[in-house]
Amino acid sequence: MKRIWIALAILLAILAGTLAHSFYLAGFTRNLTVLLEQAEVHAEQEDWETAAKLTQDAYDRWQKKDLYLHITLRHDETDAIHIGLQEVAELIQCKEGGEYSAANARLIANLELMVEEEQLSLKNVL
Amino acid sequence: MVIAFVRTIVLYLFIIAGIRLMGKRQVGELEPSELVLALIIADLAAVPMQDFGIPLLSGVIPILTLLAITMIISMLSMKSVKFRALLCGRPSIIVENGKLHQREMRKNRFTVDELMEELRMKGVTDISTVKYAILETNGQISVLPYSDQKPPIAADVNIQTTESGLPLVIINDGRVLEHNLKTRGYDEAWLGKQLQAHGAKTPKEVYLLTADEGGRVYFAAKEGQE
Repeated sequence: MKRIWIALAILLAILAGTLAHSFYLAGFTRNLTVLLEQAEVHAEQEDWETAAKLTQDAYDRWQKKDLYLHITLRHDETDAIHIGLQEVAELIQCKEGGEYSAANARLIANLELMVEEEQLSLKNVL
Repeated sequence: MVIAFVRTIVLYLFIIAGIRLMGKRQVGELEPSELVLALIIADLAAVPMQDFGIPLLSGVIPILTLLAITMIISMLSMKSVKFRALLCGRPSIIVENGKLHQREMRKNRFTVDELMEELRMKGVTDISTVKYAILETNGQISVLPYSDQKPPIAADVNIQTTESGLPLVIINDGRVLEHNLKTRGYDEAWLGKQLQAHGAKTPKEVYLLTADEGGRVYFAAKEGQE
């Protein structure tokens, strides 16, 4: 019987761990999305300095969790976000309003898709 | 490429540890659920080994989940006969009193050729000499001949035999296995005498030395040693 309990404990631990990962990822990317959206609002008002700061903040937060994200997510997805963050930062530097908006929207969409993939839903299971 | 190397080692050790924890039975004859486990694990391990874009964890988590589920299923099938029958099926009698049960054979998709092959492998050429042939749940065939077709054993012909017991290896390729020496109740002095009796000076000159419960010793000198 002891083995059954151990196996059940392992299964529950895996379930809890994966659910915790999903929740954490949702919260983490929500914060990044808020920062990127705020940056866009400032960019639309020609406040490029604040937009750059907010985008840099998002980039730093992403970098801080790089190891965790690399261990738990597909590497092409994390690489795409990393490249997207660098791209928007560069477009802010160049003050390219139109291209920045498109790149920022793409980055936010990528973040949302990445989180959606990790959520426990019937759509994902099927 | 170094990632492939490291990942392969990690996954290999992980799977070996997992299979080992499942118990010895897992390694030998596979029940249907165990066969499924072996096939899926092999595939799951191969993907993160080759594709570096996939995190190692995405290979480890499914494997760990499968091992845990299999552990639960194994324990439940051990505890409940009904569950075991549901999971592994029941043995099928395909030959009874020398007669083929064709319906059972069809039900198990077992051909005559396969049956004849299995019987030949067990030294049986004439089906009429078989009392029972049973297709076990692991796919193996157990053949039970009529009692007059069974080879006689010592008890049948009233021959007195002595029980030699399990021989333990005392020296394995020049290395003395102290634990086995003590288990047999012997010491270094006894070992020295045995070596001397067989013309060896040190254990390094011995390839194999075993001793059974009756005190009988098997000695094989190492080849190429003077």
